[in-house]
Amino acid sequence: MKQFMNGIRQGFGDFGHTIATIVNTVLLFIVYIIGAGLTSIIAKIFGKRFMKTSLHKKSYWTDLNLKKEKMDNYYRQY
Amino acid sequence: MYILGIGCYYHDASATLLKDGVVVAAAEEERFTRKKHDVRFPINAIMYCLKSQNITVDDLDYVGFYEKPFLKFERVLYQHLEYFPLSLKTFLSSIPSWINQKLRVMRRIRKTLKYKGDVLFIQHHMAHAASTFLASPYKKAAIVTVDGVGEWTTTSYGVGDGNNIHLMKHIAFPHSIGLLYSTITAYLGFSVNNSEYKVMGLAAYGIMDRKKNPYYKKLLKVIDIKEDGSFRFDLRYFIFQHADRMPSKKLCKLLGGPISSRDSEMTQRHKNISAAVQLITEDILTNVLKHVHKVTKLDNIVIAGGVALNSVYNGKILRNTPFKNIWIQPNASDGGTSMGVPLYIYNTLLGKKRKYHLKDAYLGPSFTTKQIKKFLDSNKIKYSTFKNDKELVHKTVELVSGDNVIGWFQYGMEWGPRALGARSILANPCNPKAKELLNTKVKHREKFRPFAPVVCEDDALKYFDCDLPVPEPTDYMLMVYPIHKKWHKKIPSVTHVDGSGRLQTIRRNQNHLYYDVIKTFGKKTGIPILINTSFNIRGEPIVCTPYDAYKCMMGTGIDYLVIDKFLVKREDNPRDMWDSEKYAKD
Ligand SMILES: [Fe+2]
Repeated sequence: MKQFMNGIRQGFGDFGHTIATIVNTVLLFIVYIIGAGLTSIIAKIFGKRFMKTSLHKKSYWTDLNLKKEKMDNYYRQY
Repeated sequence: MYILGIGCYYHDASATLLKDGVVVAAAEEERFTRKKHDVRFPINAIMYCLKSQNITVDDLDYVGFYEKPFLKFERVLYQHLEYFPLSLKTFLSSIPSWINQKLRVMRRIRKTLKYKGDVLFIQHHMAHAASTFLASPYKKAAIVTVDGVGEWTTTSYGVGDGNNIHLMKHIAFPHSIGLLYSTITAYLGFSVNNSEYKVMGLAAYGIMDRKKNPYYKKLLKVIDIKEDGSFRFDLRYFIFQHADRMPSKKLCKLLGGPISSRDSEMTQRHKNISAAVQLITEDILTNVLKHVHKVTKLDNIVIAGGVALNSVYNGKILRNTPFKNIWIQPNASDGGTSMGVPLYIYNTLLGKKRKYHLKDAYLGPSFTTKQIKKFLDSNKIKYSTFKNDKELVHKTVELVSGDNVIGWFQYGMEWGPRALGARSILANPCNPKAKELLNTKVKHREKFRPFAPVVCEDDALKYFDCDLPVPEPTDYMLMVYPIHKKWHKKIPSVTHVDGSGRLQTIRRNQNHLYYDVIKTFGKKTGIPILINTSFNIRGEPIVCTPYDAYKCMMGTGIDYLVIDKFLVKREDNPRDMWDSEKYAKD
C-alpha cells in the first residue's frame, strides 16, 4: 500500500514537473518573441548594436579602468 | 579574520578560505562530488574549508563571490537581442537556470550556509587578476587575464602595485582567445571546457611552421590580429553567440569538412588544425604581452584565466617577450577565482598588509595516519606499515624501478587541475613501454597524449632547457620546456613527439617524501625523474579521500598504493566490482 502511494505521489510529482516545464517554456517563448523580439527590431531600426562587431579599427583594446571602488559597490551584484 | 571565496555555476566550482590574509584551505567541488568540472554551488568544498579550521559560518567576516551575476546576465540578454530570432533555442534552454539559480546566488548563500554577514561581489577578471597577483611573490607586476569570458571581458591587462590592482584595458565578448581555442576543440570532436589541453597535445604532431601549415593561413581569416595584441573575430565563422554549438558552417567550409564526431580518428589534418590554432594563440599572446610590457615597463608578469593553462605557450613567454620573471596561479582557470576573491577583499578592499605567497598547492583535504589506518582496518584491507620514511622511500623506489604502477597518496589534495605529488600515479620513465603500460592499466588515454615528468628543482636544468632561474610556475606543471636531446631516448615515455616535456619541478620543502623518492630513484637508475600523472581514471576527477584512492586502485591496474605510511598491494585484496572501463569517457 505504502509503495503504491509512493508510486502515485511520484507520478503526480513527475506530471507536475512536466506541466511546469511546458508552461515555463510557453511563457519564455512569449517573453522572447515580444520582449526580445520587439526590443531587437526597434533597436535595429535605430541602428543600435548590442555587440561590437566592426573590423578594421586600429586597435581593439577598449577602456576598462577597473580598480578599487567604494565598498558599497561590492555589495551590488551589478 | 576569516574570508570565504566562492566560485560556481559556470565551470569548476570551488571555495577558498583565507585566515588573517593567508590561504588555509582551497578545493574544487568536483573532488567531493566526483563529477568532473562540477559547476554546482560548492557546498562540500565550503564545508571542507570551514572544518579544516574548526569554524562555522558564524566565524566568517566576509563571503565573496567571483563575479557580478547581473552584469553577466546583461551580456546574455544582449546576446539574445543581437541575435534574435536565431537565439530562441538557447534562450529557452538557458534562461531557466538564470532565473532559478544564477541570479539567486545571494539567496543561496544565505539559505544554504545560513550566513547573515556581508557578501561581496568581485568582477570576474578582477578575481582572476587577484588570484595571480596577490598570491605571487611580486610587489609590482604587469597582469594579464585571458579566458573564455567573464561578465563581458575576455582579455584584460593592467598593473598590480602593492595591495592594488588596476585593470586598464580589455577586449569584450564575443571576441575571445579562449573561445577561439574552444571552437577548434569542438570542431575536432572534443568536449569544450574540458579537452582544450588535448588540442594542445595534438598540436605537436601537426606542422608547427607558420609558412608550411595550410590551416594557419586559413584560420587567420577568422580573426583580425593587431600589432598591439588586440583582436576581433569575423563572427561569420562562429555561432556560439546564439547557438549551443561553436563553429559555423562557414568555418567548417574553411577548414574543409564537417565537425568531427566524438570518437573519430585523429588524422594529419586534425593535427595540423590543432597546430594552427596553437600557433595563432601564441601569436596573439606574444603580441599582447609585448604590448603590455611596452605600456607597463615592468619586468614581472603574472597571468591567470583558462588560457594561462596553455603550458606549451607558457614555456615560451620569457623567451618571446621582454618580461624577465613570470608567475601563474596554479588553478589559473575559473576554479582559481575563489582564491582571488578573498585575497582582493583582504588586501585591496580592506587595505590589510599582504602576507601570502602561494608556495605549494597542497591546500585540499589531508588525512592523519590514524584516520587512514582506521579506513584500512574497518574495510579489512590487507596492508603493511613502513617502519619509517627511509623505508617508505626505498620500497617505493624499488617498486617503481621494477616497472610497477604506484598510486601515491600523501599530504593535502592539490589545488588546481594537476596532480603534483599528493594524489599522483608514479611510474618509471625509463621504461619505453611505460606509456602503453599506464594506458592499459589505468588511464585509457588517447595515444597522442604524453605523460608528464617530475624532477627535483635542482636537477631540472640538466634534463630540460628551462628558463633561468627555473620559474615557480614550473612547480605547478604550467610550463612545457624542451628536453635536452641526449636524454630523449633515456626517458622516452615522457618525451613528447616534439622533444618537449610538461615537467613538474619539486622542492624538498614542498613535499619531502616525494622529493626523496625522485632523488633516490635517480641514485638507483641514473635518472632522477619519474612519470607523474593524476591519480584518477579517465573521466573522473582526481581522487580526494583514501576511499577514492583505494577504489581507483582496485578498479584499475595500479599495482600498489603508497598511502601515508602504509603500503597496499592490489593483488592481496579482493577486486572490487568497480569497473574503470565502464567509466572511461572524457
Ligand atoms: Fe574565467
